Amino acid sequence: MRLIDWAAKLSRRGFLAGGAATIAAVAVNGTNLIAGPNAAPAVDAVGLNAEESRALLKFTRDLFPHDRLEDSFYARAIAPLEGEAAKDAATRKLLADGIAELNASCMASAGKWFADVPEERLRVAAIRRIEGGVFFAKVYGGTMTPLYNQPELWPKFGYEGPSSALGGYLNRGFSDIDWL
Amino acid sequence: MPAHFDLNDSSVVVIVGSGAGGGTLASELAKKGISVVVLEAGKRMELTEFKNDEIGMFGAFTWFDPRTSSGSWYVAKSSPDLPAWTCKLVGGTTVHWGACALRFQEHEFKTRTRYGAIAGANLLDWPIDLAELAPYYDRAELRMGVTGTHGIPRLPASNHGKVLFAGAKKLGYTQYMTTNMAINSVPRDGRASCQQTGFCVQGCTFGAKWSTLYIDIPQAEATGRAEVRAESQVLRIEHDASGKVTGVVYADRDGNTQRQKARVVAVAGNAIESPRLLLNSASNQFPQGLANSSGQVGRNYMRHVTSTVFAVFDKPVHMYRGTAQSGIVMDEARLDTRRGFVGGYNLELLPQGLPSFATNLLPGEWGRDRASVIDNYANLAGVWIIGEDLARDSNRITLHAERKDKYGIPIPNVHSDDHPNDLAMQQHGLQQADALYKSIGANRTVHHLPFPSTHNMGTNRMSEKPQDGVVNRFGQSHDVKNLFVSDGSQFTSSGGENPTLTIVALALRQSEYIADQMSKRAI
Repeated sequence: MRLIDWAAKLSRRGFLAGGAATIAAVAVNGTNLIAGPNAAPAVDAVGLNAEESRALLKFTRDLFPHDRLEDSFYARAIAPLEGEAAKDAATRKLLADGIAELNASCMASAGKWFADVPEERLRVAAIRRIEGGVFFAKVYGGTMTPLYNQPELWPKFGYEGPSSALGGYLNRGFSDIDWL
Repeated sequence: MPAHFDLNDSSVVVIVGSGAGGGTLASELAKKGISVVVLEAGKRMELTEFKNDEIGMFGAFTWFDPRTSSGSWYVAKSSPDLPAWTCKLVGGTTVHWGACALRFQEHEFKTRTRYGAIAGANLLDWPIDLAELAPYYDRAELRMGVTGTHGIPRLPASNHGKVLFAGAKKLGYTQYMTTNMAINSVPRDGRASCQQTGFCVQGCTFGAKWSTLYIDIPQAEATGRAEVRAESQVLRIEHDASGKVTGVVYADRDGNTQRQKARVVAVAGNAIESPRLLLNSASNQFPQGLANSSGQVGRNYMRHVTSTVFAVFDKPVHMYRGTAQSGIVMDEARLDTRRGFVGGYNLELLPQGLPSFATNLLPGEWGRDRASVIDNYANLAGVWIIGEDLARDSNRITLHAERKDKYGIPIPNVHSDDHPNDLAMQQHGLQQADALYKSIGANRTVHHLPFPSTHNMGTNRMSEKPQDGVVNRFGQSHDVKNLFVSDGSQFTSSGGENPTLTIVALALRQSEYIADQMSKRAI
C-alpha cells in the first residue's frame, strides 16, 4: 500500500495558499459573520496582549490537543481571532474577560495562571467550568477550522490534500490496500 | 447559443432553480422547441473554478441564506442555522452531490398500503408506481451515464470500499458493490472518466460526474431556446383573477426587482425553498399560499434517517482516496418489519478529507478523546446510514414570524421531530455498521448523528386526491393548472435511496406532459 511521508513538505506558495483558505474558512464559520456587521470597529480597540495570546493558544491546544503539532500550528489557528480582537473592541473584551476567568479559576485551583498550569487535568477542569459560555463558543468555533485547514498540517495526519493536479488517485494508491 | 427573452414575453416557461429537477426540465423542454427562462438564485461557476478545497468550496457555493430550525431532530441542536446542506449556484445541488443514482423500490411508492396506518405519520401512496416510472429511470440512467446500468461498467473499488465490503462479507451480507454512480467509469458523452480524485463534493474538476451545470444547462442553451439568468432570486409567483399564474417577481443580480411573465411556472428550488416560495406567494385569492388549498404545502418534510459510523483501524485506509461514495451495502434496504421498523436503509461510504472530518466530528466535543480519533485519521473508515423517514404532518417548512431575508421576504423555518420508527431504524443501522467494522478488527467506532440534511423531500407532495397533497401525478398543482413542482419536494415518500435519480426521472416524465398540455392549449 502506498504510504505517505508524514513530514510536511510544502512550499512557501502552499503556505500562502493555506493562509488564504484559512481566512475564507473563518468567514464560512459564521460566528464572525454574525458579529461582523453589527460591531463597528471601535477607535480605542487594541489587540490581545502577549500574555492573553499565550493563554488563548494554550486554551486552543487543550481544546484540540495533538501532541504531534508544534505551537506554531496553534498560533496560526488563533490568528484570525487575534485579528478580530485588534479591530473590534467587543471581541477583544469577550476574549480578554474569558481569559481572565480562566486565569482566576486556575489561580484558585493551582495558584498559577491558566497557561502556566502544568497539569492538563487542572486546565481541563477550568475549561469545563466555562463550557457552554459565549467565550468558549467563540474560541471553539473560531479556531477549529483555521487549525485543521492548514495544508502543512495535513501530512502529519496522513492526509494528502488536493489531488486533481496530480491526476487524482487513479494511479496513486486508491485501491492498493493489502491488509484485509 | 443562449436565447434572450423579453420580460414581457408571456410565452415562456419559467423554471425556478437549475439543479437536478430544474436543469433537466429546462434541457428537455428546450429540446422540444419550448422557450425556457431559468431563474437561478446562485451565481454561475465554471468547471475550472472548482478546487480540491473542502472548506473553500463549502464557502463558495453552499446555500447560506438565513434559515432557522426547530424540533427534536439532532440538527436543530448541532446546526440550527444551517439545517440543510444544499448549493446556491447554477447546477444547484448536482454540483456537490455524491452521485449515488439508485431507483426507489416498488413498495416505497405505496407506503400507506404496504406499511399500514402508522400513528404519528401521514403516509400516503404515490399516485404513480415503479412500473410507470421505470422507462424514465432507464432514460435518466442513460442520460446520466449511471454505472452498473445498461451495460455501463461499475467503478473499481477503493481501499475504503474494500474495507466496507470485507466487513459486509464477514457479517453475512451479500448485496455489496460499488454503487450505481452517475460518474463516468469510462469516457462517455464527451466527458472524461473518473480519476479517483476524492473531491466529488467540491465539484468534479474532471467533469466525470453528472451535473446539470456543465451538461444539461449548456445543452438547453445550445438549442437557442433557453436563457439562464443567474443570481436571480425569485420572490413570489403572481396570478390573475382566473387563478392562473402569470409570471414571477425576482431580484436580479443588482438587487433590482424584475417581473418575468410566463405561460407556465415550474418550481424547482429544493424542498425548503420551493414551499417557501409558494407560501410567500399568498394573495387575497390564495390566503394560505399558492397551490395550498390542501394545507399540505410545506408539510411532510422528509430528510432521511441518517447517521455516520467512523471506525478506527490499526492500519491505514486513506479513506479520502477515490470516488467518495462509491460503495454500498444494500441488504438492509428491504422491507422487513421483523427488524422493528418499516422501510429500509442503505449503507453508503462516507469519506471526508481531514479539514471536513476534523471540523465536523462530534460537534461541541473537545479534548483528548475527540482528538485521538483525528490522530487516527489515516486509519479511519466511514459509512453513512441512509434510510426512509416517514412523512409527518407536523414536520414542515413554515415562514418565520419575524425574520426576513435581505429582500424583505420571510425566511423559512425547518421543523422536524424524529418519529419512533426513524429512531428504531437509526439504532439498527448504527448497530449493524458497528458490527460490520468490528468483524474485521476495528478498535472502536464513533457515531455521528445526522449532518445538515442533504436530502430534502416531500414538502409539496404528489397525491391522487387534491385534499391529500399539492401536486398530481405529473407534478402539476391540483389548484393551478399552469404551475408545476419539479424537484424532490413532490416526493410522497422518501424511500431509502438517494433522491436525485428519481428527481431526474420525474422531470423527464414531466417535460413530456408539459409539452403535451401546451400543444393541446390545455395550459
